[in-house]
Amino acid sequence: MSEQSLVSDGPILGKDDPVLRAEGLEKRFGGLVATDDASIEVERGTITGLIGPNGAGKSTLFNLVSGFYEPDAGSVAVNGVDVTGQKPHEIADQGMIRTFQTPRKPEGMTVREALLVGPHNQTGESIIPLFTSPSTVEQEERRSLEQAQTMLERFEIGDLATQPATDLSGGQMKLVELARGMMAEPDLLLLDEPVAGVNPVLADKLAGFIEELNEEGITFLIIEHDMNFIMRLADPIVVLNQGSVLVEGPPEAVRSDERVIDAYLGGPSE
Amino acid sequence: MSTLDVGTYSPREKGVAGLLGALAALLLLAVITGVLAPAYLLYLVGLSAMYMLLSMGLNVQWGYGGMINFSVAAFFGLGAYGTALLTASGSPISGGVSPVIALFGGLGLAAVLAVIIGYPTLKLRDDYLAIASLGLAEVVRIFILNESQWTAGSAGLTGIPLFFSDWPVLGDLTYPYIFYVGGTPLFNMSQSVVTSALNVVLVTVIVAAVYLFLRRIHQSPWGRVLRTIRTDEDLAETLGKDTFAFKMQAFVIGSLIMALAGVFYSHLVLFVSPSDLQPITTFYVWVAVILGGTGSDRGAMLGGFTIVAIQQGTRFMTDTGALPIGAAPLRLMLVGLLIIFIVRLRPEGILPPERELIWPDSLGGGRDE
Repeated sequence: MSEQSLVSDGPILGKDDPVLRAEGLEKRFGGLVATDDASIEVERGTITGLIGPNGAGKSTLFNLVSGFYEPDAGSVAVNGVDVTGQKPHEIADQGMIRTFQTPRKPEGMTVREALLVGPHNQTGESIIPLFTSPSTVEQEERRSLEQAQTMLERFEIGDLATQPATDLSGGQMKLVELARGMMAEPDLLLLDEPVAGVNPVLADKLAGFIEELNEEGITFLIIEHDMNFIMRLADPIVVLNQGSVLVEGPPEAVRSDERVIDAYLGGPSE
Repeated sequence: MSTLDVGTYSPREKGVAGLLGALAALLLLAVITGVLAPAYLLYLVGLSAMYMLLSMGLNVQWGYGGMINFSVAAFFGLGAYGTALLTASGSPISGGVSPVIALFGGLGLAAVLAVIIGYPTLKLRDDYLAIASLGLAEVVRIFILNESQWTAGSAGLTGIPLFFSDWPVLGDLTYPYIFYVGGTPLFNMSQSVVTSALNVVLVTVIVAAVYLFLRRIHQSPWGRVLRTIRTDEDLAETLGKDTFAFKMQAFVIGSLIMALAGVFYSHLVLFVSPSDLQPITTFYVWVAVILGGTGSDRGAMLGGFTIVAIQQGTRFMTDTGALPIGAAPLRLMLVGLLIIFIVRLRPEGILPPERELIWPDSLGGGRDE
């Protein structure tokens, strides 16, 4: 087999057990076509990398699958459930949690408080149980607090629990985001540039944490510009160019694929 | 922990408590020396409590969830008119309904309006509620002013009964009411003192109930989600929270508390007119919340109290001839100065929220700061 055949032309579809399946997603902003017939499948248990030159439509694709944009055409399914056109919170409920490119700072909250927002469908999020069954709320809160502390310690930031969530370094914020996402017990975590602006030592640690979580069964879809980071971590790699998937394949093959190199260097695409 | 436990106090809270204690002592002294009529002092307490309710209501919307509501006066007015239209002898609609039942009329009107204005705007970005509510307040006021076949228009509604007017014992008191201790007449109280005192009892119960209710819902997962929405609605959405539902709940609760203030106001001053719905009320309440510390229930109460202190204090000073200028311009100037001072010195308010929104009992014994 030649190396070329390892890399598929366009996305690989029809995988056995995709957590996320997006088909033919199209999004236009006025005359600008941000994504055009973009399809992607994320196989359960993988760390799938999503790369592509600036303006390729990576973030748009994230916004489309997570419900922040409504697609002009195409469909999105999470865990086999069609979620096209649903609200972000409804899609999150299906087991897909995303992070943002710029970390969101929950002002006026401590780190652990920010983590406690993570768990889904807490009893205490409805007003009536706060009065009718306070003991259930208390138990859940205790459990969540413990879980939050365990999560922070796992990411080696246990000492930050009662710090204001706004007084953290960029890298710590990324860790808190990851921890908060994990509190929601997702099947699939969408990470948008997890190591942008993070020092190399912490980036290494972060990669280790992601691998660990992956071994425990969490599926990842990661946008990242740091090629060393993504090539080391992800398999397969999906390359997006001009709003649709150019190629998909294992990192070594994608790295040396002519079409990918052309896309990055701005060579002739067609 | 008992339900009445109000938590630990920070030095700042202690300082404020000390100041308030001193002020209370001063007022008491003024009553004893005859400078201040007892009935008037009680009326002032009632009025402060009313402002506390208004600020707590706005704090639920703005302080908890970041919703900008410029319709405080409208929700207050609907509460006031709701109960007045049902109970007042001068009501063009019904009149004569028991105030205890009419209370729910006022609350119901406010809840309906809150849903009507909230439904289309809370799905959009923050600014739209601000714009819509700015217009809404005037729509409500002008509606009441013009639809006199239902609302008695600019004449206002007279003949509103006291809240306790049809209660078994409290409604049948004779005046002057003589309070006996062990068979000896101790206090000889005029009607105005007794009714004012009853109003104070009523409003104290309302304020305490609202405060305890809010404290519970605020320091909970519910309050935490709203705090997240306030800083970043998208973040709350990505974590699977139905932000529209949360905002709607907070908006309706806040509006109900404002309406409660209106209901109480009706039965306090026994007269309502469209001028009670002037936009200035809304802005006083905003100043109160920001001054007290956005997001803090205690701060909101302190802010509400301060506003009344300024309103009535200026009146008192000019009444005694201590000042060469009228109360109204002085009041506005003081409020203006106050805003400048807050923004310059303490943008977070006097008693900003200091606590994590975590169910208190689940934190075990000690609460860490």
